[in-house]
Amino acid sequence: MEISKFTKWFKEYGWRHLVGLIFVTFAIYPILFVLTNSFADFANLTNSKLVPNSLTLKHYKLLSGDPLVPYFQWLYNTYKVAFLAALFNVFLGTLAAFAFSRLQFKGRRTGLLTLVIVQMFPSFLAFVAIYLLFFQISDVAPFMGLGTHFGLILVYLGGSIGFNSWLIKGFMDTISPSLDEAAKVDGASEYQIFRKIIAPLARPILVVIFVITFIGIYSDFILAAIFLKDKNLWTVAVGINTVFVDDFNADWGVIAASSVIAATPIAVLFIFFQKQITGGLTAGSVKG
Amino acid sequence: MKTSTILRYLLLAVFNAGVFYAIPLSITFEAWFLLSLIILNAFLVNTVYLTDRFKPMKWILPGMIFMISFVVFPAIYNTYVSFTNWSTGHILNKTQAIKVLEDRTFTPEDQKDIQFDLYVLQDQNLEFYFFADLDENNMFFGKAVTDEDIMTTSYATHEPSLKKNDELIVPDGFYVLSGKEQIANADVLQELSLVIDSKTRAKIFKISVFGASTGSLSSTSQLYTYDSNKDALINNSTNIICPAVDDNFECDGKEIDPGWRIYVGTENYEKIFSNQRIRAPLNIVTKWTFQFAILTVIFSFFVGLLLSMILNKENLKFQRVYRSLFILPYAIPAFVSVLVWKGLLNPDYGVINNWFAPLYEILEIEPIKWLKTKESARAAVLLVNTWLGFPYMFLITTGALQSIPKELIEAAKVDGATGVQSFWRITFPLLMVSISPLLIGSFAFNFNNFTLIFLLSGGGPPVIGSEVAVGWTDILISFTYKLAISGGRGNMFGLASTVTIIVFGIVLLISALSFRYTKRLERIYGNI
Repeated sequence: MEISKFTKWFKEYGWRHLVGLIFVTFAIYPILFVLTNSFADFANLTNSKLVPNSLTLKHYKLLSGDPLVPYFQWLYNTYKVAFLAALFNVFLGTLAAFAFSRLQFKGRRTGLLTLVIVQMFPSFLAFVAIYLLFFQISDVAPFMGLGTHFGLILVYLGGSIGFNSWLIKGFMDTISPSLDEAAKVDGASEYQIFRKIIAPLARPILVVIFVITFIGIYSDFILAAIFLKDKNLWTVAVGINTVFVDDFNADWGVIAASSVIAATPIAVLFIFFQKQITGGLTAGSVKG
Repeated sequence: MKTSTILRYLLLAVFNAGVFYAIPLSITFEAWFLLSLIILNAFLVNTVYLTDRFKPMKWILPGMIFMISFVVFPAIYNTYVSFTNWSTGHILNKTQAIKVLEDRTFTPEDQKDIQFDLYVLQDQNLEFYFFADLDENNMFFGKAVTDEDIMTTSYATHEPSLKKNDELIVPDGFYVLSGKEQIANADVLQELSLVIDSKTRAKIFKISVFGASTGSLSSTSQLYTYDSNKDALINNSTNIICPAVDDNFECDGKEIDPGWRIYVGTENYEKIFSNQRIRAPLNIVTKWTFQFAILTVIFSFFVGLLLSMILNKENLKFQRVYRSLFILPYAIPAFVSVLVWKGLLNPDYGVINNWFAPLYEILEIEPIKWLKTKESARAAVLLVNTWLGFPYMFLITTGALQSIPKELIEAAKVDGATGVQSFWRITFPLLMVSISPLLIGSFAFNFNNFTLIFLLSGGGPPVIGSEVAVGWTDILISFTYKLAISGGRGNMFGLASTVTIIVFGIVLLISALSFRYTKRLERIYGNI
């Protein structure tokens, strides 16, 4: 009796769980592995295993004490660049979106289409030209040339502003026009309508766009790698992928620890905003 | 005036000050593209904010400037670069190259092999002085200076009184450095020279621990002089005339570095299409780029769809748990997970080869050298990218499956359709309608998935015997990167830009394709 019940359950549900478990293993094994290894009390990759014999914080301590590997400086740089770039990105994107959503003018449709078309080319495609352009900017205005965070932020700003304005504009369109018409009747200026009505109501989407842009910039490798030559100015993506490539075996514990620190906040952010990020609205803007 | 107006004019003033600061500098450096970009931006900003004619632009322009400057403009600039010979050895423009060449110096033959005793002294301010004892008639003493100060210093004087019976008479207030002290200061001393006359300097040649160190002469005689009438360089040492040929000066048929960058027309494009040594690697890369992007989409879509079909079942427990676990690979920044995978795949120490060890033994084969051979590198790249991509596919297919009305499937069942039939006839086509734009997007993303390729395999293993740096897993964008930045064979900006143009073309095609779908969506949502 019991057996046939089990067979029935297995035919209906059980095998699904079996397949599910196999792929769950595939999905999370590398993540668990690096997580446990970062705390594990062995030094290198050769004798690493999923469940360590004893735990230690030594890899994390090594990360904070090595002047040749300014890991926390990289982390700080990354947060600084990503935060500033994402913030200005959302701010400027909101301004543009307001015009496209609320103001009537010639060329509005063309402008919107241009935004979409331009945004289809990832900004890093023309990295050769960006490199050469900033090479010249280095001569004229060294503070924003190659090797500076300022220059890098500028490039990131250009990179996703079109797409972001487009998304914000889409959201603003859903805010009822009767609200701002009423305000207009009461004598509110364009700026007041933006400041007091549209921007506050659009806040949910602005937060999402900020997070998406932040994650995208945080995860960027190519532009940061081209731009930043000074070790102390590197972002985390450049740093850990430049310093640890020579000796994987010996560095494994530190690689694991640095991976955990670099990935955790982003993973948490991502999971928290999962629905919005993966929703059809923003599909493909970060990764996919 | 209102505060906002004052603020506006203040900001404008700052902006224009920057413009006026940058314009002459750009002209000095002959950075013409930068100059035109600055002028364009200055024009836009001033027309929009000084007049009231383009009111909506006041909102749009701040963001637009960045898009123009760092997306649109580089694309145009890239096109220009693809028509030049811009590369290592041809980085400068002609004026700059001539200046570099005219700064070159040479030491005349009769001075080359002269060596002499050289003493290093220090005064009370710890400034260095040299005493160079060339011969009885040439005993020079004076302050030793770096190249920067050479113009402002006075010539060394002939001081025979400082030497008596082969011994140095140390002048008052000076101190002679011993050999050891000289070695300790070697970095500084090597940069210093004693200026004997307008063309000749004495420098330290070799520090010796006992007795005087050895000095040698170096000359500041100008090696090349540019003759603008003949458009040629004259070599002052050999008196050979080196005419300008295309992008280099040539002395007796030998090019001298540096050359300068010129417009070369379609030369780069011809190279790419007809020069076998560049075309062959490009073919390999282009073919693999498509294979890589298509296979990635197929694999991750297949796994994602399979899972969502299997787990999308009424009353199945833990559905939420599955969802939240599957999203994890997607939530972690790729630059981290790729690094971790690189560790797992390490052929000597990695876990994956540890697992396979028994299998290797049974089959009596060598362990797979992950990422070191063409096949294993390509397999690894696809494996990791499937891992990175299937969660996204799982999420979107689950969403799409749930939005398909159940009545349709029920109706098909009533009409006697089998499960397989209703899947292929109803579920799958409906799924594709909503998913295909996302699949195209995923294809486009992976087509340029530089991070994965560059960080996992570095494009390697290298294709042996190729003229340019290229590997078996290189995709177009990483190939471009190697050409331009990191191939170890100089910077080939011109050629790299040309490859970029090809990528542009392909992205344009993909965009046109997805645009058709967007149009379809647009009809549904009316977004514009």
